[in-house]
Parts: sequence; C-alpha cells; structure tokens
Amino acid sequence: MSGAALEHHLGPAPIYNDAVVKKFVIAAIFWAIVAFLVGVWIATELAWPAANLGLSWINFGRLRPVHTSAAIFAFGGSALFGTSFFVVQRTCRARLWGGEALANFVFWGYQFFIVMAALSYVMGFSQSKEYAEPEWHIDLWLTVVWVCYLLIFVGTLIKRQEPHIYVANWFYLAFIVTVAMLHIVNNLAMPISPYAAKSYSVYAGVQDALVQWWYGHNAVGFFLTAGFLGMMYYFIPKAAGRPVYSYRLSIVHFWTLIFLYIWAGPHHLHWTALPDWTQTLGMAFSIMLWMPSWGGMINGIMTLSGAWDKLRTDPGLRFSVTAVGFYGMSTFEGPVMSVRDVNALSHYTDWTIGHVHSGALGWVAFIVFGALYYLVPVLWHRQRLYSTKLVAWHYWIATLGIVLYIVSMWVAGIMQGLMWRAYDQYGFLQYSFVESVVAVHPFYVIRLLGGVFFLTGGLIMVYNFYRTITSPTTELPQAIPLVPVTSPAGALGVPGE
Amino acid sequence: MDSEPGDFVVGALMAVFGLIGLFLAARAADDEMYVFGLGLVVFAGVFILGLIKRHYDRLDAARAMLRVRSDV
Repeated sequence: MSGAALEHHLGPAPIYNDAVVKKFVIAAIFWAIVAFLVGVWIATELAWPAANLGLSWINFGRLRPVHTSAAIFAFGGSALFGTSFFVVQRTCRARLWGGEALANFVFWGYQFFIVMAALSYVMGFSQSKEYAEPEWHIDLWLTVVWVCYLLIFVGTLIKRQEPHIYVANWFYLAFIVTVAMLHIVNNLAMPISPYAAKSYSVYAGVQDALVQWWYGHNAVGFFLTAGFLGMMYYFIPKAAGRPVYSYRLSIVHFWTLIFLYIWAGPHHLHWTALPDWTQTLGMAFSIMLWMPSWGGMINGIMTLSGAWDKLRTDPGLRFSVTAVGFYGMSTFEGPVMSVRDVNALSHYTDWTIGHVHSGALGWVAFIVFGALYYLVPVLWHRQRLYSTKLVAWHYWIATLGIVLYIVSMWVAGIMQGLMWRAYDQYGFLQYSFVESVVAVHPFYVIRLLGGVFFLTGGLIMVYNFYRTITSPTTELPQAIPLVPVTSPAGALGVPGE
Repeated sequence: MDSEPGDFVVGALMAVFGLIGLFLAARAADDEMYVFGLGLVVFAGVFILGLIKRHYDRLDAARAMLRVRSDV
C-alpha cells in the first residue's frame, strides 16, 4: 500500500516519541566506546599484567565485568531499548504507551542501573555469577525498570492501529519477557541484611551452576540474539528497500528459536557434576539450534535479493549484512563447541573467548552499527550521513579488528587445550600451566591489536555522527517537509513509518 | 497542555524510591549500599525536578502558542 493510500486508510501517523529513542541512541554510542576502551585496557592487562598499576579497583577481576556489562547491557541494551521503541511505534502506528515520563524513567532508570552496577564491580562487590554480577539491590532496581519497559512495549502493541504485529516486535517481545524471567529466577538470593550489599543465592552446588548457565546461555539466546534479530528484521528491509525474503520463514525462525534455545544451557557444564543425561540434552538442543539460526541467517541475507547493488553504495547496510554473516558463523561454531568431545578441548580456553567475540563484535556490534547508521539521519532529520567514506573506513578497520581478534583466540585456545592435555611417556603432564601462559602471550598481543582496531572504528563512527548532526552540509533542503515518510515495502514489508 | 497522568504516577514512584534511598544510605552496613542509597536519592530528586521543569515548559509552550494565534 502506498504512503498516501495508507494515510487515507488509517489516518495520519501519530506523533511518535522519538526523544527517548534519541537518548538511547546517544547512550548506546557512548557505552560502545566505554565498552571497547575497557576491553582494550583489560586486554593490555592480560598481555602485560603490570598494567593494572597495582590498583585493586582496576585489576582484571574487577574490570572484566565492567567490560562485559558495558558491552552487553549498556551498549547492546541501550541499542535494543532505543530501536525497539523506534520500531514498535512505527510498525504499530502508535505513540509509546504510558506517556513521556514513564519512557524517560525507563531511560534514566536503566542508565542508573548501569552506573551502579559498574561502580559496585570496581568497589569489589559481585555475586560471582557471569553476566549476572550485580548484587540483590541492583537486581531489584533492574526488575522495576524492566517491568516498566515491558508495560510500555505491550501497551503500545495493544493500542496499535495496524492489524497484525510485525515479526520484529515478536522478537523484541520474546527478548523482554524471557530476560525478565531469566533475571528474576537466576538472581533469587537472600541478603545478609536489608542494609548490606552481600547476599547468598537460594541455589546451591550443581543446581546453582545449572540455573546460572540456564540464565547465561539464554542471556546469549534472548538478549544477544532474539532482540538483535528484531533489529535485523526491521532495519535490513528498510535500508535495502525490500520486503523480508520470506515472512513465513521468519515466523518459523521465531518459534523454533524460542523453543530450542531455552534447553541448551547445560552445554556450559560438560564434564562436571551435572548428570550426563542433562549434559547430553543441552548438547542435542544446541545442535538442533543450527536449523533456526541458519534459517534466520538465510532470511536476512536473501532479503537483499534484487538490491545487492546497495552493498556497494550503502556501507551502513554492509554492516548489517556482514553482521548476519557473522551470526551464521558463530551459530555454526557454537553447536560445534557444544559437542562434548569438542568441549573437552575448547572449554576453559581462549577459543571460547574468540567464539564469544565473533558473536559480540561481528553480530551484535555490527547489526547495531548498521541500525545506527540508518537511524541517526532519520532521528535528527538530516538528509544523509556526513561521510559514507568514513563509514567504509569504520567497516574495514572494524572487520580487520575482528579477524585479528578471533583468529588469535582460535590459535591460542586450541594450543592451550592441546598443551593442557599432553602427556609424556611416563604419564605426567608434558607442560606446566605457566608454559601455556607463556605460549599464548604473542596471541594476547595480537588480540589487543584487534581490539584497538575495533575501538578506532568506533571513534570514527562517533566523529561521523557528530558531523552528521552538526554539519550544514547534511541539512534537509527547506522544501522537504519534516514529516514521517511511509514505506513502499508493501504488505509483506515493514509497515510504514 | 496539562500534565499527563503518567507524570503523577512516576513522580510518586520516584518519591518512594528517594525515601528508600535515604533509609538505605542512613543505615548502610557497607560502602556499596551507602553509595547506592545516596545515588537513589539523587536520582529520584533530579528526576522529580525534571518532571516539574517539563510541566512548566509545556505550559510556556501552550501560552506562546496562544499568543501567536491571538497576534494572527
């Protein structure tokens, strides 16, 4: 349906709350640089431990969760909040439910959570649960913010003026609902006092480990995958000007992913006290995940059918499509690593770190960069980006950084795994642990270089956005009215802005 | 334009959070809870000030609009 026909049919589009989207976009850009910078710093500490300067609050153990939380929750989370608010309003033709104050509370409340969590880490307070380090009081605060986020999202869906709920919203909703469930169940704990930060988990022993990795793996599945797939299903069709390759495949992708992911967590506990059948269950579901993951990847990439030429002219779209490629690659590697015998070699080594970063940098960061390069000119009413050449520079520097990072970690990880299991003819371990540490040192330096490349690309992006927003060369010509434009994508495409 | 009903709900919620923050900071057993409690108080206070500012900004904008219309 054309823009004019849609407007005639449904009435004019409401005035969307883009102020909160802008805030989240700025926050995502800010936290991206923080996350990359802290990552580079702790990579330096791993290569040269004296870089912690003897200060307890910047040692590796405290800064590592600052890096992971800044990357996942601050950068990724802000991008997810912002894009979900942008997408749900446009695909539902409805302003955000709950009013401006509630949306602002979600923004500032989430930023408060991030700052408080980071402060608690550097002060030495942690639950010692990976990706769930904040203590009970910060968890409670996040729960309040998250419930408000859910209310806004569901409220907007309920008051929509579109007959159906576009698939991107399904993915965003799965992300919001499941993360709420995971967060609450995994963080059930008993504080030693209402006025003390220290608490103890309600779970113990192997049950604690199982609940933690049920949470941990589904944080990957629903925070780092489902949410960003929502981003993929909106921004790739918009940037390519094409409808989704197969809407039916997107629905199959959604339900299979949701059903299978939730069972895969036990593969993090191979060769532990967890019962064998549970480990096998986790492994089997991880392997089954190949199908929905690759179905989604094919759907994302094939959406460019008939618009492949845009990859030459739109480097922002190149980010999005490369992200889908990395999604396919890391969702192939993950199930391989979940096989118990492969895991015997890979677990506890830097191979895992390389795998995580092929997903975090290649998939998550790249799909966000693609969405940001689309969003910034739209939100700030600019004609175009300041420089597509700078976007191309960002793309190639960041890609080179990822290659350096993941290749060095593959080599280091497999070498570590082989050295730790090597025996001599008398049955003694052939290498001491410290020999494996010395052996991986050159690869730690290469990893650091990869991180510096990725950070440099991020700084180029920040400069490009700053100039896009402030430069007179990107201003819209006066003749073009500042009203939302309707998508030409058609019935199976993304409903119009 | 009048305030949205959400402003009052969120404002009341902020007042409760601010009070909780005060109690946590006052009786904190460790540095972390002290910092969090004080942070919550400051967060709630600044947020409520922001709500009040936006309320008057909206009133000013509505008055300015009326003035423009009466000039026309």
